[in-house]
Amino acid sequence: MKRHLRVDDLARDSRFVRLPLEARFNDPRPQGSRSSSGRSGGRRLTPDRPGAPDGARALMHGIFVGEIQALEGAGRTCYDFDTGAGADDVPFQLKLDMARQCWDEARHCEISVKLSEWMGTEIGEFAESTFLFEAACNPDPVLRLTGVNRALEGLAIDVFNAMRDFGDLAGDPVLEFCEDWMLADEVTHVRMGSDWLRRLTEADPERRQRALEFQSIVDKLFSGGGFRGEEEDSPIRLARRFRQLAGFTDAEIDSISEGSRQARREAEAARQRAAAKAAG
Amino acid sequence: MAKVTVSPEKFNLVFFDAGEIAELVGSAAARIGVDADITVDVDEASALGRARVTSMDPVTLSVQGGAFEDPKRPRHLAPHNVEDVASRLLFRVRDRLDPSFGDPPPDEELTLQQSTAWDAYCLGRAERLGFHPAKPRRLYHFRNRHGFSDVADAAFERLWSADGLTWADLEAVCAETEAGRQAVG
Amino acid sequence: MADPKKPRPAFAPWDRRELPGAFDVEETARRVGNYKWVEMRLFEALGGWVATVPELDVKMRLGTHCYKHAWHSELWHKRLPELREMNPERLTLPANSAVEEFMEAITEPEGEDRTLEKLVGVYRVLIPHKIAAYTYHLNNTSTITDAPTIRSLKLILNDEFEDWRDGEMMIQSLIETEEEARRAADRQAQLESILVRAGGIAGPGSIGMPAPEEVTA
Repeated sequence: MKRHLRVDDLARDSRFVRLPLEARFNDPRPQGSRSSSGRSGGRRLTPDRPGAPDGARALMHGIFVGEIQALEGAGRTCYDFDTGAGADDVPFQLKLDMARQCWDEARHCEISVKLSEWMGTEIGEFAESTFLFEAACNPDPVLRLTGVNRALEGLAIDVFNAMRDFGDLAGDPVLEFCEDWMLADEVTHVRMGSDWLRRLTEADPERRQRALEFQSIVDKLFSGGGFRGEEEDSPIRLARRFRQLAGFTDAEIDSISEGSRQARREAEAARQRAAAKAAG
Repeated sequence: MAKVTVSPEKFNLVFFDAGEIAELVGSAAARIGVDADITVDVDEASALGRARVTSMDPVTLSVQGGAFEDPKRPRHLAPHNVEDVASRLLFRVRDRLDPSFGDPPPDEELTLQQSTAWDAYCLGRAERLGFHPAKPRRLYHFRNRHGFSDVADAAFERLWSADGLTWADLEAVCAETEAGRQAVG
Repeated sequence: MADPKKPRPAFAPWDRRELPGAFDVEETARRVGNYKWVEMRLFEALGGWVATVPELDVKMRLGTHCYKHAWHSELWHKRLPELREMNPERLTLPANSAVEEFMEAITEPEGEDRTLEKLVGVYRVLIPHKIAAYTYHLNNTSTITDAPTIRSLKLILNDEFEDWRDGEMMIQSLIETEEEARRAADRQAQLESILVRAGGIAGPGSIGMPAPEEVTA
């Protein structure tokens, strides 16, 4: 089996359909008319909105495919690198942590399948974005870990927190129960990422800087043009308290917040260009 | 067969075909028994999924583009979703045209509870006519509006399998689930 | 209540543990190092395969099993320093070149149409051999001096039996035609033949039987 898979190599059954990143960015419809799922959003996900149940269903499906990709990413980190102390190697303990994460993500997939069924959603009902796995493809183990465990899992904290609140407000006991359990695991994963980033780059500040820059890029991508941020109308709010628990500093959270605002401005500009082009 | 007019005639932001939408809505109207002329106003700039009956004379269905969209292929039409929306709204139209049904408020004045209760009643009938509404999805909508409780689930089942209900019956269901929510709260 | 000052036998009548065991410290460390090496290769492969199998249920099970074998390798890793091996990496080795070849062969399938080969290698060949070697070790080591290894073996065997059952059921559910049954059998035979040369996951004597040349000599 070869090392370092590409996104296109990810194996799926016939129910799944992949949505290329450019399809999202080339959609000329105004940002406020769509969520990450492309279905309903642009505003905060609260149960009192007419389209909230479908918005929650679409978001839950997005979480489900994200969990599959997180599982695949953690699994590949167990396989793609030699065990050792070299720059391209990873320590044995890191692999053990990634294997543990595999189990956690597999459990999250199971939870997501059951939860989606509860919400009346079929597996593969919505398109799958693969941008999460793209962060898990980096050939540098430190950058990969930073992209997956700090950026991707950090996003998971924000999303699970939002969905847990949604379940609470809607009075959906199953949604709230499941999201709270998954949220607990994600805080552990982010801490794991922060810890390994510090340990692996202790004697190499340049590499640490590169990793943090990579995280910043990934965080901006994951902000989905303002989908995740601290604006009043952001569908997913940055979960400051849980991010602090996971080891993020206030300055780091502020930086993600600013990156989200910037991503939103850029996405809106891109959409306006696409709309102008569509209008001829 | 009802004459169906789709607006806009040509879509710029999405890959929808007005003729295909007209054919699907016309076919649904014929099966449901609505023979009035129908206008379908599609807001192609919106990927949201709301759809309402905004006029009875002429019959007008106002649909945000997302309601007709294929969730697996953004900006592309999903015939199944057109049928789903059309059957739900055209049963509402049929109810509104039936004097014995009663006098429901206009769609835009319906509460979320009234709207989901009526949807369950419409789509249950649509299923028995051979349409394919996603019942689990509708149950989830219903629970969100009427409570996650045995009372709400039983009410949903009654609505889904019912025929010949009146607006007063739907209001009674809303009152029943409201009482259940108050008891829990 | 019995008089607390009254002398009692150090080993209660129901405690039948004995000192003798088949393995000395050095041999135990060698075996444990071999076990760790196999468990490592296995959890890495399972993790790598997760992304390459399209079957959703299999994907999720492999993710779960990946951790179990990682934990086994950690148990063996921690046991090595207790067996006078202060550099665990020194003994983290395949028992012989045939074991190495076997693990290479097991992890070779990659394509999304080869789930059957992946599963047969792990659940019809490797895990049964691990269960055999671990059971032999458990039943032959000193029940007094090697108690920590025994505890690990019991915990690990519990996982192995569960995973074996999981894997076998996945395989049976994937085999729908006679041709697929033959595919599974061919794959099993191919891998088994390498393990015959290896003598088992810990080399000759993995389950106590001497290597064929030792018998004839």
